[in-house]
Amino acid sequence: MKHKKLISLLLALTMVLALAACSNTDEPAETPAETPAETTPVETPAETTPAEGVDLTILYEQDDSMLNTYSLLAVNPDAPFVDADGNAVSDVYINVEGAAALINWMLSQEALDLAANYGYEEYGEYLFYVLDDAPVSTAEIPAATEDTATIRMSTTTSVNDSGLLGYLLPFFEDEYGYTVEVTSAGTGAAIANATYGNADLLLVHSKSQEENFVAGGYSYVLDGLDAERLPFLYNYFVLCGPSDDPAGVKEAASVTDAFALIAEGEYPFVSRGDASGTHTKEISLWPAELGITTEADSVADYTGWYNYSNAGMGVCLTMAEELHAYILSDKATYLTFRANNGVME
Amino acid sequence: MIIRPFTKSYGGAPVLDFPGASLPEGEVCAVIGANGSGKSTLARIVAGAMASDQGRPVLEQAGPVGYLPQRPYPFQMTVEGNLLLNAPGGRADARRRAAELMEQLEIAHLARKKAHHLSGGETARMALARLLMRRYALLILDEPTAAMDIRSTSLTEALVDRYRRETGCAVLWITHSLKQAQRTADTVLFLLRGRLAEAGPMTRLLSAPTTPELRQFLDFYGA
Amino acid sequence: MRTALEQAVQLVLSGDYQLINIISVTLQMSIPSSVISLILGVPLGVLLAFCSFRGKGALVILNRTLMGLPPVVCGLLCYMLFSGVGPFRHFRLMYTIPLMIIAQVILITPIVIGNMESFAQRITPAVRETARGLGLGRGRTFLLLVSETRYQVFSTYLLGFARSIAEVGAVSMVGGAIAYKTNVMTTAIMNYTNRGDFTLGVALGVILLAMSLVLNLTVSLIQGRLSR
Repeated sequence: MKHKKLISLLLALTMVLALAACSNTDEPAETPAETPAETTPVETPAETTPAEGVDLTILYEQDDSMLNTYSLLAVNPDAPFVDADGNAVSDVYINVEGAAALINWMLSQEALDLAANYGYEEYGEYLFYVLDDAPVSTAEIPAATEDTATIRMSTTTSVNDSGLLGYLLPFFEDEYGYTVEVTSAGTGAAIANATYGNADLLLVHSKSQEENFVAGGYSYVLDGLDAERLPFLYNYFVLCGPSDDPAGVKEAASVTDAFALIAEGEYPFVSRGDASGTHTKEISLWPAELGITTEADSVADYTGWYNYSNAGMGVCLTMAEELHAYILSDKATYLTFRANNGVME
Repeated sequence: MIIRPFTKSYGGAPVLDFPGASLPEGEVCAVIGANGSGKSTLARIVAGAMASDQGRPVLEQAGPVGYLPQRPYPFQMTVEGNLLLNAPGGRADARRRAAELMEQLEIAHLARKKAHHLSGGETARMALARLLMRRYALLILDEPTAAMDIRSTSLTEALVDRYRRETGCAVLWITHSLKQAQRTADTVLFLLRGRLAEAGPMTRLLSAPTTPELRQFLDFYGA
Repeated sequence: MRTALEQAVQLVLSGDYQLINIISVTLQMSIPSSVISLILGVPLGVLLAFCSFRGKGALVILNRTLMGLPPVVCGLLCYMLFSGVGPFRHFRLMYTIPLMIIAQVILITPIVIGNMESFAQRITPAVRETARGLGLGRGRTFLLLVSETRYQVFSTYLLGFARSIAEVGAVSMVGGAIAYKTNVMTTAIMNYTNRGDFTLGVALGVILLAMSLVLNLTVSLIQGRLSR
């Protein structure tokens, strides 16, 4: 009896120590805290300046076809909801007033300004830009009541991981008394979540999937606004890769040329593979003759270099870093990833 | 006390074919036989802890039956708690009775000890004391002294004898020790490979065994 | 530059609001789900060992199958039942701690039953024969058997709690990992990992292990005290 306890205790301690030791090797502890930017990965090529702990570098951005537009959509309470067996379900609970309040606030000048400035302080770069033709709402926002206080927002991992909502929503919640419950998944799953009646509004970034959602009758036009789909923020996807850029995508004339170069040289590429907005965007950038779609089958012939990972953005970025691979990422997640993995302040 | 004839088989193979027996009140009947001759099966079936092939109870006359299995289970509580589990009547009476039994089996000093921490011999004495808390018309003991030393064995034999005299119950005592049978029993059932080979008064059986097998058994066990 | 261990210690010492909330949500889920599973599973497991009836073998095998139920399948099932279009939508439990508890009870109860059944199965014949010999009835015999399994209950509870605290598949699906509401240790670790923040993930992992260690020590102490 006594011995068993002692052994299990020792085992538990060993595990804790092992875990701690693992993280030790990730980030050498002896580096003084005052000079945080000195961790140099062994494999970093000589010609690049080892300024960051991460080798993965933005190689291509600000191309029009890399535009990443975020939209808001209110979920229609009278949408043709169906259950798992395809039977119509009529009395699905949707917090209509709460969703309208949040959308109107997100489109208010105050919120748009907050969103536009987000990230500059932390990363020295703006993470989101307001669309020139973004709908601006001046609607009066009602304070929360007991019935409308909880708003369920379904969004994509990239928005959630960027920290934008964690920054924005408290302004709204504190002023009007609502609680916004944010669930995040890839855009495909985030939209599916809403069609199952588990969200009051969407904040996503995949135009085609959003249009399908609207066409299916799952969204509706809010009072004072003129469309179901409300694009309001944008940023650019970025093509990242090893800093020595073996495929030479930096010099490519366009981002589609850059993707063609990667495919031609069969340089390792990490794909989200999860039907997310990032994944759909990536699919649209490959040369059409490769026939790459969101289906795993379509890349069966390219497994030598194309990694169909089915994981979140952060995991994929790590994978790309490990594999010295190219990857398409939203800029916000990439910057967070770089900030976290390089130096912890 | 009449035991009706019955048979017992496992998966089609007969293990015990018992022609019935009579157990007179106030007498001890020893069951002897080699290992695997069916002694414990007989005890279990008579006690009702196992069903015979016929299914019905094998005892003709009702009345409480006490049964001490070969490996009695010590419940995870104090020795005294174990005894009081089997206590009819008032708490004070039961405590007195328990103290008396523990005294007689020399386990009074273990009263507060947890039963599952006892040694084999102590467990066997605790189990006997626990059983004898109550009055029975028939007492079935399956090798109660197998784990005991000589002193505990003689305490046990004395206690059972006293219990029998006080309650007038019949005792069915399974033992592999011929000497113990001679010391305690009035009559004997000799089991051989699942059959009752011989039955009769202790004295007659020992002086005039009719079957060669019993003679062999007696020779071997040095009677 | 800090190691995960240092960061874990620093996180705990700083009393970080988010961390405290994650720990509190984790406990609000794990303690009820493991306790409810224990309350349901212990009597059922012992009863399964105690009774003999036709089809018992099938029931034991069914339970063993459920013991291996993948958490994501359980999560998916609960998602389907309780989602906005599901048959139980009126309970409005989607993305709440109670639904996470329900999913975990479905996952853990078979483990408790199986654990108790296989333990009770071993002592049932001896207990039954002894009780029969003393002339005790079925009801008292069953109660005695339950009481004989009481030390096993502790280790079974630890098993259930460990499963509960470590489980991520079902919990992320029905809980949604909503910050300050349903985000538990495991889903938080997933979130940090997805953001590439491995150090913070490992720091949470260290805290999770430490919590498990404290619970194990506490239960062992209580168990030791009682069995003396």
